[in-house]
This record gives sequence, C-alpha cells and structure tokens, in this order.
Amino acid sequence: MLDIYIWFYTGCALVILGSIGTVIGPGVKDPIVRTLNTEVAAVGLSMIFLSYNHTIALLTFVASTVIMTMILLRAIVRLEEMGAKV
Amino acid sequence: MTGAEVLVPSVVSPLVVSLYKPAILVGLLTGFIGLLGIAFKKGDLTALILTDIVGFAMLIIVAAVATDLAEALVLPGLVVELAEILAISEVLMSREMRKTGKNVSLIPLPLSLDMEILETAPTFLAIILIAYGAFLSGFTGGAVAGVGILFYVLSRTIRGVPSTLWEGVAGISGVAWVLWLIGFLMFFVTPQYWLLALFLSAFGVLIKVASKVGLIGVLGREEFKREK
Repeated sequence: MLDIYIWFYTGCALVILGSIGTVIGPGVKDPIVRTLNTEVAAVGLSMIFLSYNHTIALLTFVASTVIMTMILLRAIVRLEEMGAKV
Repeated sequence: MTGAEVLVPSVVSPLVVSLYKPAILVGLLTGFIGLLGIAFKKGDLTALILTDIVGFAMLIIVAAVATDLAEALVLPGLVVELAEILAISEVLMSREMRKTGKNVSLIPLPLSLDMEILETAPTFLAIILIAYGAFLSGFTGGAVAGVGILFYVLSRTIRGVPSTLWEGVAGISGVAWVLWLIGFLMFFVTPQYWLLALFLSAFGVLIKVASKVGLIGVLGREEFKREK
C-alpha cells in the first residue's frame, strides 16, 4: 500500500510544474500547446482530489476538464480563423 | 497555532489536518503563478487559458477543507469555472468578429454527423439511457438521462425546433428546482420525513440535470442544422 503522502505531494508538484509550464513553458507561443500544458496541472489536481477521497468531485472535474478543453480549442480555432493576433 | 486547532472538529482525521497547510500553500502558489502570467503576458487568448490555472488554484484551496463539505463546495466551484471560461471565450470571439467583420463557422471542427447509428438506433438507445438514469436518480442519473435526451435530439433529422419545446423544458426545469428546494427544506424543518425529502431532492436534481443536458442537445441540433 502506497503512502497517501506520495499521491498528495506528486499532485502538488504536478500542479506547480504544470502551471509554470503553462506560463513560461517551451513552445507556449502556440496557444494549442499552452492549452495542452494545462492538462499537466489538471492531472496534478486530480491526484490531490484522489488523496482526499473526493470521488464525486474527481468525476465531475474530469468531465468538466474535457468540456473546458473543447471550449478553449474552439475559441482558439475560431479566433485563428478570423485572423486575430493570438 | 493553538487558536487554529480549536476550530477543527474532531471528525476531521489528523492526516487531513496535517495536509491542510501544504495544500493551502500550493493553492496560493499556483494562483500566484497564474495571475503573474496573466499580468505579464500579452494577449487575450493567453489570459483565457491562464484563467483555467487560476481556477485550479481555487479548487485546491477548496479541496484542502476535506471531508464532505469540500466535496459539496467543489461541484459549484467547477460549474462556476466552466461558466466563466465559456462566457469569456464567447465575449472574446464576438468582439473579434465585430472588429474584423468576418463571420466564421460556429463549430470549426471537422465534425460530420452522417453516421448510420444516428438514423437507426436513437430511440432505442435514448430509452435505455433515460430508464437507467431514472433508476440511478440524483446527479449521476440526471447526467445519464440527459445524455439520452441529447443523443435523441441531436440525431433527429427534423429541421427547426418548435418554440413551445423551449418553454416546456424551462417549465419542467423550474418545477424540478422547486422540488429540490422543498426537499432540502424538509431536511431541516421535518427531519423525520427524511426519506421523502431525499427522494424529492434526488428526482428534482435528476430532472434538472437531464433537462439542462437535453437543452444542449436542442441547441447543438440548431447549430448543426444551420451549418448545412
């Protein structure tokens, strides 16, 4: 049985690394890369939820992350189609 | 330190209490990183994506409360974050559309809805999903039944939606909301009828969530039809 602290602190590290990566990571000039980098932080947050046993919250978070990524990708593609400076 | 510990109820496990400080620190740090990014990076789209990170920070701080209270607070937090991102993205797009005067497709994904299953099986699948959702009841059941309604509405090939359908769905949603509120009130006013209150709440939420997801289907069908 793995220690709960391992899950919790791995989650914390992933959240911080993912948010730093989203702000100043490699290749974030491309908004799609930036959006995909938020997924690292999302996985970290899922681990934190998991270590607290927040099952329903975790389920809803996974579902809403998918919807959020779809909204962001739609906004990016539409804005690029319009020729906006992104 | 001693003052803070008095406020923690004894039902909270010491493990969770020991995780409280690091979790709050990580939440604050993540929020700080996200807000710094919004402040220093230029571009509307960047700010939109970084709003996501700030939302994560909010969720970590809420999750650090632990116990069922956190679980109850995370759900509205997620909904608020989703609504926020949707609203900001719509504002950005409509502003850009007005600025450039260009009109682009509403859903710019190569999504083709010409699938065999949408013509032959929608009624069967929708009935199974709605029946299973009604059996589950509550939030999960609402989501399952809503997917059934969404699938059925999306796959119908009739053009246009009668306006009475909108009003009907809105009315059912309102009634469900009242059921939910009455159920919640009964928990506090007459706790001996807790089973009735539980079922009122569960089915109120079921109808509420199902009708909301079904509305997405109605909206989606209108958009897809307009494309063609």
